[in-house]
Amino acid sequence: MKIAVCLKQILDPEVPARDFKVDAAKREAEQGGANLVTNIFCENALETALQIRDAAGSGEIVALSVGPAGAEDVLRKALALRADQAVLVVNDADTNPDPLFVAKTLAAAIKKIGGVDVVMVGREAGDWGAGQTGGLLAEELAIPCISFAEGFEPGATPGTIKVKRQTDAGFEVIEAPTPLVLTITNHDKNVPRIPKTRDVMQSYRKPLEKWTLSDLGVDGSTSHAYSQVAELFIPKKETKCEFIEGDTVEAKIDALAKRIGDILRAM
Amino acid sequence: MSEVVCTLWGRAGLDRAAQGVLGAGRRLADSTGAALRAIIVGTADDALASGAQAVADRVVVATGPGLEDYNPESYLAALSDLCKAASATVVLLGNDTYAQEIAARLAHRLGGSAAGDAVAVHAEGGKVRVTRGVYGGKATAVIELEKSPAVVWVRARAIEPADAAGRGAGEVERVTPELPATGVKVLERQEESKGGARLEDAQVIVSGGRGLGGPEPFTELQKLADVMHAQMAASRAACDAGWVPASWQVGQTGKKVAPQLYLAIAISGASQHIMGIADSKVICAINRDADAPIFKHCTFGLVEDYQKVIGPLTERLRSAK
Amino acid sequence: MNDPQNATREVLWNIHHAWIMYALLVPTMAVCAWGFYRRIQLWRKGRAEVRFDRPAERVKLVLKYAVLQLRTWRRSYPGVFHAMIFWGFVTLFIATVVVLIDYDFGIPIMRGRFYLYFQSLFVDILGAAAIVGTLMAAFRRIVLRPKYLVYNTESKIILLAILAMLVTGFLIEGWRIAATDDPWGAWSPVGKVVANVSKPLMSHEALLISHRVGWWTHLALVFAFIAWAPFSKMAHVLNSSLNVYTGRLEPVGASLKKLDFEKDEKLGVSALADFTWKDLLDFDACTECGRCTAVCPANRVGKILSPRDIILDLQHRMRAPDADFAASYIGSTEALSPEAMWECTTCAACMQACPVLIEQMPKIVDTRRFLVMEDAEFPETMQQALNSLETRGHPMRGTSFNRVDWTQGLKISTMAEAKDAEVLLWVGCGGALVERNQNVVRSLAQLLEKAGVSFAILGREEKCTGDPARRIGNEFLFETLAQDNIATLDRYGVKKIVTSCPHCFNTLGNEYPQWGGKYEVYHHSEFLAKLVADGKLSGDMPSSQKVTFHDPCYLGRHNGIYDAPRQLVQIATGAAPIEMEQNRSNGFCCGGGGGMSFIDEPPNQRVNQERARQALETDADVVAVGCPFCMTMLEDGINARKGDRDVKVMDIAELLWQSVEEKTSGATS
Repeated sequence: MKIAVCLKQILDPEVPARDFKVDAAKREAEQGGANLVTNIFCENALETALQIRDAAGSGEIVALSVGPAGAEDVLRKALALRADQAVLVVNDADTNPDPLFVAKTLAAAIKKIGGVDVVMVGREAGDWGAGQTGGLLAEELAIPCISFAEGFEPGATPGTIKVKRQTDAGFEVIEAPTPLVLTITNHDKNVPRIPKTRDVMQSYRKPLEKWTLSDLGVDGSTSHAYSQVAELFIPKKETKCEFIEGDTVEAKIDALAKRIGDILRAM
Repeated sequence: MSEVVCTLWGRAGLDRAAQGVLGAGRRLADSTGAALRAIIVGTADDALASGAQAVADRVVVATGPGLEDYNPESYLAALSDLCKAASATVVLLGNDTYAQEIAARLAHRLGGSAAGDAVAVHAEGGKVRVTRGVYGGKATAVIELEKSPAVVWVRARAIEPADAAGRGAGEVERVTPELPATGVKVLERQEESKGGARLEDAQVIVSGGRGLGGPEPFTELQKLADVMHAQMAASRAACDAGWVPASWQVGQTGKKVAPQLYLAIAISGASQHIMGIADSKVICAINRDADAPIFKHCTFGLVEDYQKVIGPLTERLRSAK
Repeated sequence: MNDPQNATREVLWNIHHAWIMYALLVPTMAVCAWGFYRRIQLWRKGRAEVRFDRPAERVKLVLKYAVLQLRTWRRSYPGVFHAMIFWGFVTLFIATVVVLIDYDFGIPIMRGRFYLYFQSLFVDILGAAAIVGTLMAAFRRIVLRPKYLVYNTESKIILLAILAMLVTGFLIEGWRIAATDDPWGAWSPVGKVVANVSKPLMSHEALLISHRVGWWTHLALVFAFIAWAPFSKMAHVLNSSLNVYTGRLEPVGASLKKLDFEKDEKLGVSALADFTWKDLLDFDACTECGRCTAVCPANRVGKILSPRDIILDLQHRMRAPDADFAASYIGSTEALSPEAMWECTTCAACMQACPVLIEQMPKIVDTRRFLVMEDAEFPETMQQALNSLETRGHPMRGTSFNRVDWTQGLKISTMAEAKDAEVLLWVGCGGALVERNQNVVRSLAQLLEKAGVSFAILGREEKCTGDPARRIGNEFLFETLAQDNIATLDRYGVKKIVTSCPHCFNTLGNEYPQWGGKYEVYHHSEFLAKLVADGKLSGDMPSSQKVTFHDPCYLGRHNGIYDAPRQLVQIATGAAPIEMEQNRSNGFCCGGGGGMSFIDEPPNQRVNQERARQALETDADVVAVGCPFCMTMLEDGINARKGDRDVKVMDIAELLWQSVEEKTSGATS
């Protein structure tokens, strides 16, 4: 089984809110002093792949990323966790290409890698959170996609797998033919492991392939043909606690229930 | 004539989400002078059919083998055909897991663009603009969709339903789409409370602290949490006291949570606790001490003895549903 | 005849075939030597370590800890009996040497007043003291039975053998006095008592035979004991002395080893072969006294961690006939389980308590290094802290603050802005990113400003010193952070650093030099005390507040600073702090060191609550601390236990600032 895990490098989502600033002109978050990290759902995806390889005792994991040269870091981390191969499609031109462009690039890379049975992506990224890469990638590759998957095991017949995935109501077990795309969500069993130090040290000596967009025949000028960010701003957040007032306790509870009800409905 | 399509699931009925999708569709259709079509996939009950009829100009109910229950490949194929037939300019879906699963693929098949988790959808200069939270809610973005149709999944429950004074009766058309064969089969479907869901992933959390004084009040909190579809959590003090399981603990040495709403009841808000909840979208506290540090981190709060609040609050939220 | 000038006794009186003694001495010494040689061979299986440098300082260690046995005295009962036995035997050994010189070398020194005062009276008294000491030891072992001792047959046999040697010695002395009517017998009071009791009961003949049999029995006992010593815990006479000689000369805070990531085949330690020879010697030097486990905070609150058993289990493993030096010991016994290793706060109470300078804590960190770096298996919340350390340069996952938020409203420059600042205020993650401690660094900064100190901070350029990474066992991450920080510090030419975090203080001062970062580092207690002494700050407002002071482990035991913070309390409140039942070098950890503040301890096994109990017992209104981690842990513990009482936890800087401010406002109003 060959699993390609797509990993996205994002701005550390744990930047304290008061340190978070956006560049309205570039319509991007300012990095400031914060670090770039691997998107957590992508880490969950890699962990899921590693567990499947561990359980099977064989298999190949290809870590794949599209991004600026610095995205090499997320692939080095994947190599430290013993991914078998790492490929970076370098796209220095555009730091926030639209989801379709990313999907097309990934699809081209996956075709070039060849022989991939399962493509895993995170359910969404902690920066833009578009949640579309998996679906669009499946369409580009003309294969099925199952979202919010926790993991899979071999199916009843060869060439199929059994996927457990979360739904609003509970979960489903779906049998699907390979190749296919899974978007991976987090659950209590795929908390990312940490690498062994020796593996971290060695990860820098392992080969890491770098491809350009033109290697893959992807037209870099189409990176906003699907969608683009028209505006980006930080919503005004109440920094002071609004104390709920009222003449009586009853009135206060009414007001509180309304506030809470509004939030619950908004979800 | 261009059409706005609202996609609804027959199984789900006319729930709050369906009403929100219809409301968003109606307003968008009105603002662009388009017609509104509701496509219901799967057998619709009367409430849903008539509810859709009351809002949309036209209702299509697609049923047949393969559409009784959700299957990503079948639903996607059916919707793709139905939307093409409608020459849709905008397709709206709710933000349930099924809609999220197929929306982007649907856009791809229709040659359009998708965006999701929308809190607002506008048409501007012939293009659809979607307002949504990004960077974990720290920022808001307006995404312009370049291709048509625009496929958008919306935070349906947050969107106002359409005016009750609707257009009256839209047509209802029943179709049985032809579906391609698929190897994707749902073998098992468990509808259960998310026992395995991690506190870290919870969207709503009701949390109790030392001020509760004992394990008993947590029973009351549980009732409130049930009404709110919330997960239960607690401060370290409450866990330490053995009032609730240690796995409920939120804070520096416990879980780190990031819900949409964190309701802190009788929690003073030591900095170790705050570290576990700082990423919450909204923190609301109920505490009788107005000087409790927790209030410094709240969006809103109530200074009151929790004992006077929990029961009535539960009742009000239950009746408001 | 009765001239004291001529006083002596006949050596080997009543003994025939004394050559047998000399003949037996050879195999006895051979067996003894062979025993020790085997021990040495075991130690030599360890890796290299430099422990024979700076001989003058090492001789001082031996004087303090092997001869004067200062550590043994920290517990008075065993301190007393051990001294009685030790000095008894030292005296008896000297007496034997005197006989040797006099009889075998023919130099007549066992004569006259020396014979009477030393060889007879003094030796008798010390011998009697040794008997009393032995009986006290037996009483403790049989009747008192403290929890921290190891109870085995060997220990009982040793006591019995010592007692038998001493008693037979006095018996033959008494019988000799009785049989010879020794005119100087009264100078050997114990022997004289034996003589006086024996004489009416025994014929001359019986005395002679008893003496002869007794003498050979005594000899056999002594020789057997000497031959057996290296195979029993009596080996500590030599092992422990050697261990003391090769003890650590640096402060406890500098006791962790540097790794060589390029050359080391294995990171950390999981098997005997991974230890250095000094570690292996440590195992053999253990006398099973149990003081380390008795003072271990984790053990005290009911956890399984037991430094004594870590050392002894490794000792048994090493001494086993089929010892496998390459096999992993982790998990082989409860004491060596990963769970136990993750309970250590690295407070070093064990190291401070050990009479023979065994270094228990670094072995725990060595094992953690293996678990973290080779196995990548350790508690999840610690992983999260390290993850945060790696990506964000601080372990305070989930903090909503940045490194300069605390400066709001104060005019504090960064090094980038004020390159000529004389002192760097190292804020630390605990100070900058934990809300409660922000007031501490604010107080400190205001005090420095008031005293006219030219200082600046690194601001966002500061990273965690790496202390938590190092204690948790991720040496690799520690090194990365250390190198980053040293580069930053050197870029600004920093020379003098003051910090309110003892962990930062220790790492900057004791550990960074190994990576080339050499600075003059002060804990804020020292620095502020100096400012007060220099007249740059004054408080001294008499206060009705009763204050107790909690010694941070990384300030006290790790670096030996106990007085400066107490002086500050005195200056700030007008009174010395009330001491808790455990204070200074015997202080009890807050529970937060060694990465333990990132672990959720079981509610009934909280170190901080035990310390809070001790603090509350002093009836103080304020528990003064000098460490951001102690602040968090003790506030938590005090809040859980104080009930309705109004007890605050405050840093010494806050106390001083409060007092300085009050004085200022008092003076102006």
